[in-house]
Order: sequence, then C-alpha cells, then structure tokens
Amino acid sequence: MRFAVDTGGTFTDLIVEDDENGLHMFKASTTPDDPIRGVLDSLQVAADDFELSLADLLGKADLFIHGTTHAINAIVTGNTAKTAFLTTEGHRDILVFREGGRMEPFNFTVPYPQPYIPRALSYEVPGRILADASEKKPLDEGRVVEILNELKAKEVEAVAVCLLWSIINPAHEDRVGELIEQHLPGVPYTLSHVLNPSLREYRRASSAAIDASLKPQMSAYMRNLTGRLTEAGFDGRTLIVTSQGGMMDASDIAEQPIHLINSGPSMAPVSGRYFAREDEGSDTAVIADTGGTTYDVSLVRRGRIPWTRETWIGQPYRGHMTGFPSVDVKSIGAGGGSIAWVDDGGMLHVGPQSAGAVPGPACYGQGGDKPTVTDASLVLGYLDPEFFLGGNMSLDLDASRDAIIREVATPMNLSLEDAAAAVISIATENMVQAIVDITVNQGIDPRDAILIGGGGAAGINSTAIGRRLGSERVIIPEVGAALSAAGAMMSDLHAQYTRTFFATSEGFDADGVNGILDVLEASCNSFIDGPGQGSIDQTIEFFAEARYPEQVWEIEVPLASRRFESDADVQALVQEFHKVHEDIFAINDPNSGVEVVGWTASVKCRLREGESGSLAARDLKTSVDGTRKVYFSGHGHVDATVRRFEAMKQGEVLAGPAIIESPFTTVVVDPGATAERRASGSVSIVPGKAAA
Amino acid sequence: MAKTKIDGVQLALLSNRLEGISSKMGNTLMRTGRSGVLNIARDFSCCILTGDDKLVAVAEALPIHVLSGPDIMAKTMKEYHPDLKRGDAFLHNSPYHGCSHAADHTILIPVIDDDGVHRYTVAAKAHQADIGNSIPTTYHGTARDVYEEGALIFPAVKVQENYEYNMDIVRMCQMRIRVPEQWWGDFLAMMGAARIGEREILALGKEVGWDTLENFNEQWFDYSAERMVGAIKQLPAGTATRTSTHDAIPGTPEDGITIKSIVTIDPDAGKVTVDLRDNIDAQPCGLNLSEACARTSAMVGVFNSIDHSVPKNAGSFGRIEVLLREGSVCGIPKHPTSCSVATTNVADRVSNPTQAAMAEIADGFGLAECGAIIPPSTGVVSGINPDTGEPFVNQVFLGLSGGAGAPDADAWQTICHVGNGGLCYQDSIELDELRQPLFVKARGFSPDTEGAGRFCGSRAVYTEFGPRVGNLDVAYVSDGGINGPKGVRGGLGGACADQFRITRNGDREELANCDVVNLVAGELIGSQSCGGGGYGNPMDREPEMVAHDVREDYVSVERAASVYGVVVDDMGNLDVAATEKMRAGL
Repeated sequence: MRFAVDTGGTFTDLIVEDDENGLHMFKASTTPDDPIRGVLDSLQVAADDFELSLADLLGKADLFIHGTTHAINAIVTGNTAKTAFLTTEGHRDILVFREGGRMEPFNFTVPYPQPYIPRALSYEVPGRILADASEKKPLDEGRVVEILNELKAKEVEAVAVCLLWSIINPAHEDRVGELIEQHLPGVPYTLSHVLNPSLREYRRASSAAIDASLKPQMSAYMRNLTGRLTEAGFDGRTLIVTSQGGMMDASDIAEQPIHLINSGPSMAPVSGRYFAREDEGSDTAVIADTGGTTYDVSLVRRGRIPWTRETWIGQPYRGHMTGFPSVDVKSIGAGGGSIAWVDDGGMLHVGPQSAGAVPGPACYGQGGDKPTVTDASLVLGYLDPEFFLGGNMSLDLDASRDAIIREVATPMNLSLEDAAAAVISIATENMVQAIVDITVNQGIDPRDAILIGGGGAAGINSTAIGRRLGSERVIIPEVGAALSAAGAMMSDLHAQYTRTFFATSEGFDADGVNGILDVLEASCNSFIDGPGQGSIDQTIEFFAEARYPEQVWEIEVPLASRRFESDADVQALVQEFHKVHEDIFAINDPNSGVEVVGWTASVKCRLREGESGSLAARDLKTSVDGTRKVYFSGHGHVDATVRRFEAMKQGEVLAGPAIIESPFTTVVVDPGATAERRASGSVSIVPGKAAA
Repeated sequence: MAKTKIDGVQLALLSNRLEGISSKMGNTLMRTGRSGVLNIARDFSCCILTGDDKLVAVAEALPIHVLSGPDIMAKTMKEYHPDLKRGDAFLHNSPYHGCSHAADHTILIPVIDDDGVHRYTVAAKAHQADIGNSIPTTYHGTARDVYEEGALIFPAVKVQENYEYNMDIVRMCQMRIRVPEQWWGDFLAMMGAARIGEREILALGKEVGWDTLENFNEQWFDYSAERMVGAIKQLPAGTATRTSTHDAIPGTPEDGITIKSIVTIDPDAGKVTVDLRDNIDAQPCGLNLSEACARTSAMVGVFNSIDHSVPKNAGSFGRIEVLLREGSVCGIPKHPTSCSVATTNVADRVSNPTQAAMAEIADGFGLAECGAIIPPSTGVVSGINPDTGEPFVNQVFLGLSGGAGAPDADAWQTICHVGNGGLCYQDSIELDELRQPLFVKARGFSPDTEGAGRFCGSRAVYTEFGPRVGNLDVAYVSDGGINGPKGVRGGLGGACADQFRITRNGDREELANCDVVNLVAGELIGSQSCGGGGYGNPMDREPEMVAHDVREDYVSVERAASVYGVVVDDMGNLDVAATEKMRAGL
C-alpha cells in the first residue's frame, strides 16, 4: 500500500493505492498552524473508510509521498531564517537589482521591491575570478573571518554565498564554505555553485539565498514529519515531491529545501501525461488545475514536461526569482472564488480579486457579499445547492442571485441569467489567455493538445475553454480533484545535475564537452547507486542549454548521443536545435551556428511497477440521477441530464446538455458537446465547435 | 451591415483577444531576437492598428515606442503602396514618416481578408544593434544631419511580396550594417512576430466576423475615451508651465536645450493639452525629436500622471491634445534633420516637465522627474575580441536607476529613463563578461543620492568597468550631469550623472558627457547614473521609512537629520521623540 498526500491552501488531498493498484481519494482541511496535523487527519479519514486503526493502516504501507506548500508559505509569510548574503566585492546589490524589468509601465503605485536578504545583511568579499577562470585578485581570507565574526554577533541563522564566476572556478566560494564551517560551526549555509551551477549571478544568488533561508525550518519540518509518521505506526520510506516534478528522500531535501518551492503543483502534469496517453493516446496536453483562488496551467510536450528557469515567488519583477529549474506552471488569479465587477466604463471584469475561502462566495453564507464564479455557477444551475461537496455543505442560492443582480446584472442592464453566463464567459476567457501565454512560450499549439481539467472547480467551464482553444478532447479524470496527489503516486525519484561549459558549433571542443558529460554521468550513477538503489528502472538523459549567437535566452535541446564522437554528433545537435527553435518560435536560422552555455543530465529511477490512475470501485450510498433546469447562453433554460460520475459505465456516452456530479466535482457538458466514460474512469468530452 | 451595439461582455472578450494577439507577437519577438538592446532592454514593441490606422491594441512595451507613431507609419505604408496585397511586408524606420528613430527597424504587415479588404495593420518594431551609422553606435548624438548620421532610411519599403523576401534589400542591409548576422536574426524575429499577428487576426475575423470586429473597434475606442474622461475629471482645472534642460553637447546651444511644456487640464471638457510650440528650432545634432517621439513623450507625461488602468489606444489618445511646431527641436522635423537619439534624451526632457506640471496642478497626481540617460554604463561597447579575433558591437545595460517619486509610493528604482518605464532588464555581469571581453569591477547604489521627498526618487547607480583584455570603445551621450532630475511639490532633486576614466595608476580623469572613449587594458570607466526627483516635502516623509533607509545603508544618519528631520541612532533605531522635536523646530 502507498500514500500520496498533497497539502494545498485549503485542502489536504490523500490518494491511497491499495495492493491491487486501485486508488482511493480522500480530503481533509489544511491546518496552516501545523500542516502535519492535516496530513494525519487525512490519513485518519482513510483509516475510518477502510475500517482500520490509523496504526494498522500505516503499518500496511511501504511508501509515503508528500507534496507541500510549507516552504512557499514560509517565504510568503516571512517565517524564514535570519540569513546573511556574501558576494563579490563591488556587487553587494545583486539581490537588489535582480535583473531589472517591470510590469505595468504606467503604474506608479507599486514601489520597488525589497531584496530577499536585506542589504544590511549583505557583505562584500574581496577577491575576483574572471570569465576565463583566472584569478584577478586573491580571496582576502582575513576579511571573510571578520565578516563571519560579525554574523555571529548578529545571531545570523543561515548564510548564502554567491561569488562571480564560481561556476567555472569555485576555489574562492569553496574556501568561504570552509571558513563558515570553522568559524560558524552548525550554522547552515549554501554555496551557489554547489546548489545551482548556472550562468547569471542573480539567479544563482537568489537560489542560494532562498535555499539557505529555508534550511533551519525545513530540516525541522522533515524531522517532525518522519518522526510523527513513525510514531503513528509507519515504518516505510518518506519521499518528498520536488519543483521539478520528481521525488527526493525527506532527509536529502532538508539539505536542499529550494526544491520544495513548487512541490505540489509540479505533479499535476505528471498526472496529465498519464491520462492524455491512457485516455486518448496523446503525448501532448495542457493541464489546468482550478482551485478557489488560482488557476495553474502546465504542459506536456511530446511526452516531456517542459521546465522553466524563470520561476518567480510572487509576481514577475516584483517578487523573487528562484533561479532554479522547475516544472513550468503559469498561475493566474482565477478560480471559483474570483469576484465579478463592472468598471466605470461599463465593462465586466472577473478577478483577479478573490473572495478566498473566507469569507468565500456569497452562497457560502459566511459573510461574503461579492458575486463570484461559484455564485454564477449556482445561479445557472451548474451546481446543485444540496449536493455541494457531496452534500457536506449547502449553498444559499438567494445570496448568489442578490449579489449578481446588484453588482453585475443591474449596472450592465442584463437579465440575472445573462449576467451569470457573462461572468462565466469572462472567467473562461481569462483562463484561455493564461493557456495561450504558456503555450506560446513553450511552442505548443493548444489545438494539438488534450486539455485536462483538475481541481474541484475544473468541470464548470472546461468544455467552454476547450471550445475556445479548439481542443479535440477535454479530459476530467476521476481523481481530478486530487490531481497533484495522483501525480505524486505516478512520479519517479529524480535528480538533475548541471555544469556551465561554453561551446560553439564552429570549432566544437568535443574533448572538453565529453569531459563535462563524464562528470555529469558519474553524478547520475552515484544517485542510482544511492537513493535509487532497488528501483525498477533507471534512465539518464542529457540536455544542452543552447542558443543562436548573441541570443540571451537559451532553449533546452535533448542530446541524441551520450558523447560527441564525430562531427556528425555535433551536426545532430545543431539540427535538433534548429528544429526545437522552429517548434517553439515558428522561425529558425538554418545557416547560423549554435552556442551552448550549459549541460544538464537528468536521472530518473522508477519505483512503481505498472501504472494506474483509476479509483477502486465502491458502492454508491446516494444517487442524484435525473434532470434539472440549467441555463446556457444562446439556449436559455434547458433540461439537462444529471448523472452521477461514479455511476457512469465505461463507454457510456452522454450528450449535452448534461451535468456529471461527484462529491468532489461537477462537470458541465454544454449543448452540442458529448461526454464518454473511459476505462481509466475519466470523463472524456468532445467539446464541439465554438458558436460563430 | 447596420451598426449593432456590442455589449460590455463582448467588448471585454474581443479586447482581451486582440491584446492576447499583440502579447503573443511581443513574446515571440523577445524570445527570438538576437541583439542585447532588443532582448535585454526590451527595446521593442508590437501593436495592432485598425484599417484606418488607429492604434487598437498594444502588447506591454516601452511607452516611448508605441503611443503615437505606428498610426503615421501605417498611413505612410498605404500612401506609398495603395495596392496592398496579402503576403506584403514593409520595412520602415524613417523618422520623417512616423518612426521613432532610425535605429527602430519596424516590420509592417497589412492584414487583408479573403475579399481583399485591408482590415488591420500589425507592426513589430525593434531597436537594432547597428543600423550602418557612420560611427559604431545607434545613438549618434553629435551628427549634424542625417547624412553624417549615416543610417540607411526605409520609408515603408516593401521587403516581402507574396511572403517572399526581396533579397536585394536584405543584401543592401548586410553590406552596410555592422554585425549583419545579428541584424538578420532580429529581422527574422520581427517578421516572425508580425506574421503570427497576421495569422491570428485572420483566424479571429473568420471566427467572429469582420463586421463584428469593425463594430468592436469603434466601441472600444468610445469605451477607452470614456475611461480617459473619467480619469481627467478627477483632476482640478489649471495650467502649469515647467521647463527641463538637456545638458549641452556639441551642436546644441551653449546652455543646452531647454524644453518648455505648458500643460492645461480641462476636466469639464475631459481633455489635457500639452503645448510644445514655444521651443527652439531643430539643432545641428542628433538630439532632435521625430514627430512620433514628440507626440509620444508628451503623452507619456500625461499617462504617467493619471489612473494607470485607462486603456492606451486611439480612443484615450483623443483626449490628449499635443501642440507641435514644424521645424522645432521637439516638433515635426524636416529632412535632413537628424533624429538619431530621439527616443531618449530630449524626449525625456518633454515627458519630465509634463508630468511635473501635472503634479504642480494636482496634489496626489503627476510624478517627479525621472533621471536622464545615456551614461557610459549603458553605452555601446565595441572592439575586437583578442580571444577570437572577431569584432563585437553591443549596447550594455550595466546599471541604471532614475525612477521618480510618486504621489503614493517611492520610486521604482530601475526605471531606466522615463520613456522606458522600467521595462529594461539590467545585464547579468557574468553574461556581459562572457559576451564580450569585459571586466565589471563594481555595480551598486550610491548612498545619499536619492531625490528626497515625502516619497523618494531613485538613488544613483555607480558602475565601474573596462576591458578584460585588449582595447574597448565605449560610446555614450550622457545627459543629466548639470541638469539633474528635479523634485515636485517640495521634493528635492536626485543626484546628477558623472563619468570619468580611471587610469592604470588609479587617477581619475573627468570625461566629456558625449564621447566615444577608448580604454586600454588596465583602464576603467567610472559611470554614475542619475537618481530621480522626490515627490512632496521630505519633512513629511514617514519617519520609519527614513530609519529603514538608514539601516539599509542608503541614507546616512546625518542626512536623515538634515534633510528629513529624522533622528536615528547608529543601530538604525528611530528616536520618535527627538524626531518630533526636530521636525517641530525646523
């Protein structure tokens, strides 16, 4: 038996895999004051369902996989360690400048952001390495010791070190590390070239700063988690989900907690890849996870989950860049709680403001009086006020009506239903633009991709989004409400190693590059022999971070061969680069040479035999099949078939208008669309064409 | 088809669609461009105009590029090529026909529907690394005229017909432009972006119908005009005159170029007028404005001063009247006047007094002055790389600040200059040292250089760099050494720019403010950028904000007391009682 737990903002999702590969889905409330309690609560819900004690349930399991927003929450709430930043003389303001840039050029109400580590705790270290790896000025060790003594006096709890060019000559940075161990014993520190050996000092410095600042709390969290699981009766292995869509041992991630930043959302595309292939035989997908306040979009391109190095904590240019590769996830402020409002020119907007979980939509009856997407869904009949969350919460339809009439219908001179439908249309369009944004950056035509809807609110407008994008198929997996936890169950142990080594296709230094690839492969092999020991299957892949000369943004190109033995191997890389460049940007320059800035090796170890994303069959205690009145633009009120998600037979086809409901989600099948149950349990929708 | 009223829902949906298309064009251009000025300074823009040449949608782009100009360029394209066909594309960089300056190569593509009707024009514009000027910089500040400037000028020249390149023109460019591969890469990137825009608009027209789109255009302009009127009605009526002076360089009057901006706010009419007619004639140098930059720089000053959420398109533009004079330094230039540096230096001297005048009329609106550029830290570096024997030319963006204090917030430090709006990236030291044989010794904020105010302007940035090996040429046109950024409503000015050579034995030699400086190995150039002006009286600044600046080493204890009347101890703790006493006594 295995567990995968994803701690999100509102819910802690648990997927249990039984010994017959059947999945079981459970939810408990997240407990922000002590998130591990929410984890144990979710396990207790499962134990009750299996009619076992918690200890007996835990005793049956050999693997516990955990995704958590604990690290990102610590940063957002300012609960990280008091951290100092050491950098090269003359460059104290690396974290202040970031890489410049700004959004909303006419908006002067937003002041310049504070650096991740205050300037008062940023120190310059005399000494300088140059771009050719030579030492221009030796390291002034005496000064370093003086600084360290000052840090001791200031009771600094962690240290981040980023010196210029440490990626090609780490001597100075390594020596600073030794001096920290000697003069600040026990204080955790991060060396930028060890953590993230990539070009561009801000990104490396920011990685190191974030990583160091998380070390004290995250090691405590991991100790606490494993301790309390053991106490409760678990004696298996605890793995943690990383930002890169893989898993690491809890004790290892405590050493590099930056990998926790996107833990959770990174798993949605792992699920998505599985369902796109299983349900539709496709290797390209857009995965959209709808929560209460955010809409997270991720991708699968030809079987791969694309990464980005440009991951921001907070808004672009106003927050901090992690500088670390992460699964590319685009988040916008849109979800069930997004508020609808009309501006003074008479135009309707939805979001980015959200009613959140508290006070929540008007229909929650918890004091919210602003109309939200959830309220519009209720007014249109998409949601059943008596069967929300399986009937665990009842909704106040009158409150929704009042809010929409007051804030939308009256100012826009629309009927209640047209106003509610307009709210859904605008929310849909916002979501579509988020998908267009990330797909254009990653070079995917959304029409060629399967759209996969996850999160409890996904089903409301996924058909409409699919129509707008021209998608052939929209999939709502049965485990969609816990898409990230399900992905965690399917993911692999993963590590990635990077080296900076500049090479050009003309005058290619094959020996130099092969030397780097040797080092990277050795790192992968020791991972396989370490954490990967006993795994079922291991794969190593190599990538070049390449660009045309003078470009400043690199793209990632997989290497066809493990070493460069002949000119043909170099040409193969060049041709692949031209191809990927054209895929992503619609143009290439086949007569131009290619530059490679960095080399990456990625190693994966598979732990799970066979794959399944299907919920185990269970008896239905309640059934809501029948019809109800639902309003659709252009159709008015129509009788929609209402069908229980779990009760649909494999291969059963439903023609819209229809509503498919489960305790976790509601799927709206618009008129003109059809839905079919797949073997995996998913509902697969042909959205049909957008009305002209 | 009769005009039907589009509802607020469809208005939102279609404006979102068109803006989505322009963003897609912009993303494509940024990710594929080759030169640093394009993909680091984000010195590019993409926009969509209606068939009758009104700007309807624009991707987030530096302000000086797009507000006005694309409309004139599209008109020129139609005038010179009345028989537009699908598959045509035009290269345009003529400052006499609507382009900002010659360095901004622009691809214009008419979007022609299946019936041959010209529905929209898409434009992709990008500052080039080189345009074949007589010296290796795209900012030729001292050029007497366009002939000395030396750029090839393209007044809407057809470069594609039926989607095929006219290679004659491509080859001409390659013979004249330094780093021809880089130019060709950027040219491809612009063409790719514009073609994506064309493709998407054609698909949109098929989906929703061209008549619907025509209806939408008009109602979108009406809506935007209404929003603009609403924003202007929040301001009091009044007129204010402010001046701002560009430092002297060769070819300007001895005291530099003073720009006078007369701003009148008429809330009843929902209109702002910026009168630039009372200014000197065009000068025998490269600082003169193109018509596009003269209009846009005035509009930037207005839009910086009001509710930022007003959409920027022909509808809102119609509520701003910019009065220009033909033959003026900031008016409509006559060929062969050089406008080589039109997007930055004198343009900033138009935007800054305009937004400052807005602030003087209305407390809580407007903006202080942003810092001037282009200091050596953002100059064009060139030379021969001794490691490879290859020549290099690139503009670097090593360190700039220049943000202005605002009514409710401190400056955005890295605003670059007022016409850039802060979009410019700051270079990675490592990337610059890898791209060319550079050694960047230092880059950081200088203490006690901020424009003090209730809300402060930026601090100055000090940068020191030189060749790692070999020789290095650095070209720059650094304004703001004498006339620094001024504050408004009692706010103080920010620090002035400065530049000097640091010789091998460490001596400092002052450098001229407009020069091409040759550095030999071991020499460095020191460059201080301007700060930005403050908004409101520094004595009204929140004392805890001053204490924070002291703790962060930005402001000295002495300056906290003398300029802000705030008493802070050496540990950075605020002394509330002493501060109240000092402020009461001052």
